[in-house]
Amino acid sequence: MSMDVLMTLGQGPLPAEMGPVTLYHYLFVSAAMFCIGLIGFLTRRNLIIMFLCTELMFQAAGVALVAFSRFHLNHTGETFVIFVLTVAAAEAALALALVVLLFRRKETLDGTSWTELKG
Amino acid sequence: MGTDGWPPGWKGGLPLSTLSPSKPERNPRSEVRRDVFGWRYAESPSLDHPLSPILLYAGCGLGALAVALSMPRKNFNPYVVGAVLGAAALGLVMFGLWWKHPESLPNLHFYLFSAIALGAALRVITHPRPVYAALYFVLTILASAGLYLILSAEFMTFALIIVYAGAILITYLFVIMLATESPTEEQPDALNEYDRVAREPVTATLAGFVLLAGLSTLFTVDLGKMAARPELMAGDRQLAIMARKVEPILKEAGLLKEGETVKAEPYSRAAWGGAQDGDPTLDAITVTGPGGERRITRDQWPANLKLSNSEGVAFSLIDAHPAAIEIAGVILLMAMLGAVVLARKKVEMDERAMAAAMARERSPMKGDELGIEGRFAQPGVGEGGAA
Repeated sequence: MSMDVLMTLGQGPLPAEMGPVTLYHYLFVSAAMFCIGLIGFLTRRNLIIMFLCTELMFQAAGVALVAFSRFHLNHTGETFVIFVLTVAAAEAALALALVVLLFRRKETLDGTSWTELKG
Repeated sequence: MGTDGWPPGWKGGLPLSTLSPSKPERNPRSEVRRDVFGWRYAESPSLDHPLSPILLYAGCGLGALAVALSMPRKNFNPYVVGAVLGAAALGLVMFGLWWKHPESLPNLHFYLFSAIALGAALRVITHPRPVYAALYFVLTILASAGLYLILSAEFMTFALIIVYAGAILITYLFVIMLATESPTEEQPDALNEYDRVAREPVTATLAGFVLLAGLSTLFTVDLGKMAARPELMAGDRQLAIMARKVEPILKEAGLLKEGETVKAEPYSRAAWGGAQDGDPTLDAITVTGPGGERRITRDQWPANLKLSNSEGVAFSLIDAHPAAIEIAGVILLMAMLGAVVLARKKVEMDERAMAAAMARERSPMKGDELGIEGRFAQPGVGEGGAA
């Protein structure tokens, strides 16, 4: 499937108008995704799922950035998403190494079993 | 105003700064409006929200109820009810947007992808099994990639799928499968207690949706219509220095005579570095030949002579933000070093966890009946690669 076919499926023929898509729609979807990620981070007790929820929040930020990039008709937002991906990858590597370490120590992924770290 | 409702020569989105009271003429909807129920909701020009607040807050409340209901619980798990309520909430908000601005109906694919993304995101945080949660997160990523494609960010679409769904999520899946507790003899396939029961579901959901209501009230006071012509993205002045891209296209369109070549303008950082909002587009391309120089103006260009999305991103990345790439490289290097250091660290098992493991080990039911090896019989396995 060529790129043009994909684009036609996505938004109609390229030179034609895209249709009145508005920034608000995308920002609402992004905010809703962010809040779902936040709720997940607060409620879930599995350490891995908690970090997965931070990835969800990163993803929501990415949607908002690309929408702003399209809205202002420049590529800065898209470029920033690349750095968001970088930070997400670095965070995943470190967080998962920590999770494995914690799991080896206590044989559990329960975040609440580490309440002694409160000091 | 042009025929399509946009001012002639206009090439950018409407500014978000319609809050500014100095330009009341920017907001044409300043008169008193009434929502579905006849309530007045926009008396001042500075607070004309694209969505009726009643519908927005009803949608947020319904969504909060949906998320709270779908949270994992001990006894019963009405996640089907939660899913239906969540879909109703999303539908209510989207209906409210359509009701007030029927002209701003986005294409069907926007609704499709955003519904899939949000539904899968809901399932990520409510599914009691971590592997399924990670797989639903992949679905969220794919739907977000669809949204990127509608926004004509093709490069990021594929980068997202490759990096996120292909690399990061696979790492997550590996760790989920690596760090799984050994099953007990009573319940070989039981879920862990911390996966089955959510922590403070009502309070957290309330906090999250109050945040959502606040955000979606404040982050815009106008719809922010997007420009209809994505090919004008950030101008295309960079075409003037890309002779090797432009020449075959012009040749194919029959615009170059015999012996003519495209004259590339010299690169200068000040002139070309990083396209910005409102950059002018290129007027004409200069070609040189035996008959001297001539200009091929924009109206003669073939349709496929334009700056592609990945070229635009490349100019923005390499040309406008070179230091950021270096910093990103340093971040990745540090993360790699940190992960190596952490993984090589020798960990003493906690005394209680060790006792529990030994108790499992001594249990006569262990091993054969569960069909697994006694992990703690082998020395060093629990300590990982601490060689």
